[in-house]
Amino acid sequence: MNDAASDMQLPHGAILLDRRELSPDTALFRVAPEASSLRALSRFTPGQFIQLSVPGAGEIPISPADLPGADGTLELCVRRVGHVTELLHAAKPGQRLGLRGPFGTGFPIREMVGSPVLLLAGGLGIAPLRSLLYHLLRHRDDFGEVTLMYGARQPELMLFREELVGLAAKGELRLYLTVDFAPQEPAGNFSCAVGLLPDLLKGFSFDAGRSYAAICGPPALYRCLVGDLEGAGVEARRILISLERRMRCGIGRCCHCAVGQKLCCTDGPVFRLSDLEQIPEAL
Amino acid sequence: MKNAFLKSTLLAEFLEALRRFGVLHGPTVSDDGVASFAPISDASPLRLDYGRTLIPPKKYLIPFREEILKLHDGIYHPAAPLAQDMVLFGVHPCDLEGIAYLDRVFLADRPDPCYAARRARLTLVGISCEPDDFCFCSVPPGTAPCDLYLTALADGFLLDALTPKGEAITQAARELLTKAAPQPPACRASCTIEPQDPQLRFSDNPLWDRFAQLCLACGACSVCCPTCYCFDVREYPNLAGDGVRLREWDNCLFKTHGEVAGANFRATRLERLRYRFLHKYCGFSPLEGVVSCVGCGRCRSACPVDIDLRELIETGKNPGGEPA
Repeated sequence: MNDAASDMQLPHGAILLDRRELSPDTALFRVAPEASSLRALSRFTPGQFIQLSVPGAGEIPISPADLPGADGTLELCVRRVGHVTELLHAAKPGQRLGLRGPFGTGFPIREMVGSPVLLLAGGLGIAPLRSLLYHLLRHRDDFGEVTLMYGARQPELMLFREELVGLAAKGELRLYLTVDFAPQEPAGNFSCAVGLLPDLLKGFSFDAGRSYAAICGPPALYRCLVGDLEGAGVEARRILISLERRMRCGIGRCCHCAVGQKLCCTDGPVFRLSDLEQIPEAL
Repeated sequence: MKNAFLKSTLLAEFLEALRRFGVLHGPTVSDDGVASFAPISDASPLRLDYGRTLIPPKKYLIPFREEILKLHDGIYHPAAPLAQDMVLFGVHPCDLEGIAYLDRVFLADRPDPCYAARRARLTLVGISCEPDDFCFCSVPPGTAPCDLYLTALADGFLLDALTPKGEAITQAARELLTKAAPQPPACRASCTIEPQDPQLRFSDNPLWDRFAQLCLACGACSVCCPTCYCFDVREYPNLAGDGVRLREWDNCLFKTHGEVAGANFRATRLERLRYRFLHKYCGFSPLEGVVSCVGCGRCRSACPVDIDLRELIETGKNPGGEPA
């Protein structure tokens, strides 16, 4: 079968290249897709998701943590939390995987050109925002100031910390890190604030009227932040929210990911706050 | 052939003629009194006076469980859909409308290969019906989407071929048919449910809480709904290291339906009833604004605690009024 429709539910081959531990339960997997995926992946927009199959285990939606490399290599940041991710974490380099997508809408990167961008990430929410961040940095002159505020539960759960600090040291972005708890931070380590993201936002002055804000994190994070962002003067249509739902099919059929009348897999996963205001159950 | 008429006494011969177009299935009633669509071996088990089958004809197009992929040596392959030429005889207009809705879901924009394969080989023969107390038909008379439509009269059936397939059937059975006098279109009660305001799911109607307290989350309303198609995708490995990926009916009344890692977006029955209301009476993207209730009455008759979500609509129309 080679019609477009069967392609939609048939995973293409991919090979696990390697992995890098980011925290006790989260690793960054580099995955090389076979040639059949490359054309679709060349159209990847930050914020879109792919469906990753671990043969024999099943499929999970993952938003890549970086733009695909020139050879299509994907970086997937995955926490060990369920059946499929458990088996992915147990996989060895060279293991065959499956790949569908990319699916859904990404961040409106063309529209954002010329504007300052504020990225707000909580926990694993850094993964989709990292691909947006790298898009912004690779087209640095096209965008205004780039700020990343990133909150994690505790220092050792903060992902990509050295990398982000390195980028900030080069002056590529303004970086604010915060943790909920900081039990024993070894002396000399890069310090970060203790508190929640909304606390960081309170003391932050920025050109809210021209800014885009992109948020990704646990549901509680959105509820805390959107009011503050609007209060600061960010337009609701410029507050971009990446929602998490259980996308099973990825093509708008299985109906697990409905957000109000919208489907997260085809209308999202990136939504504008202005589109969610009539959907109280979205956040 | 216009205004073709089939005498009741020739029905058995007509069914034989239909077999040329595929395996014949139609309404039957089992020994324990359950009406269901099942294979028709000869005219005897056919029960055209049925009210409604427990499971709607969606089972022929989206089986309860089906293989979509086969896994071999770490590579996924499409599973060949099990499709055969089939004639489904004696389908009521509401169920035909249900199939038309499923067509919009599965055939528009990137057709689903399994559904498309079955649908292409399915011939639909509709039949007029007498609504009972549970029905709330929303199909205007005379528009039932099928290949051939039979209007039941006192001593036989008036045939309307609505597609080339339907024409082919009347051709194949022409020796059994006589010419009838032109008939006015059959008239019957029709109560169309208009698309509802999605904000109605947050109305302060006390019925919401009452239904949420009553609902057993058994999912019967969704299983028996001719337009409910939510599915889950599961993968089963075998000991050889290969396996299959299946999709099977899921149910929005089940708690697992809204689960994600570490959270549940529809953890309460109230949230799940709202979700159901939204999908049935407001529609999901890209069928936003399309009502998927066809008025077959199955959910009302199957619900063990007599929940009828339509009451929320009727009270919505008259704030403060009692449900009809």
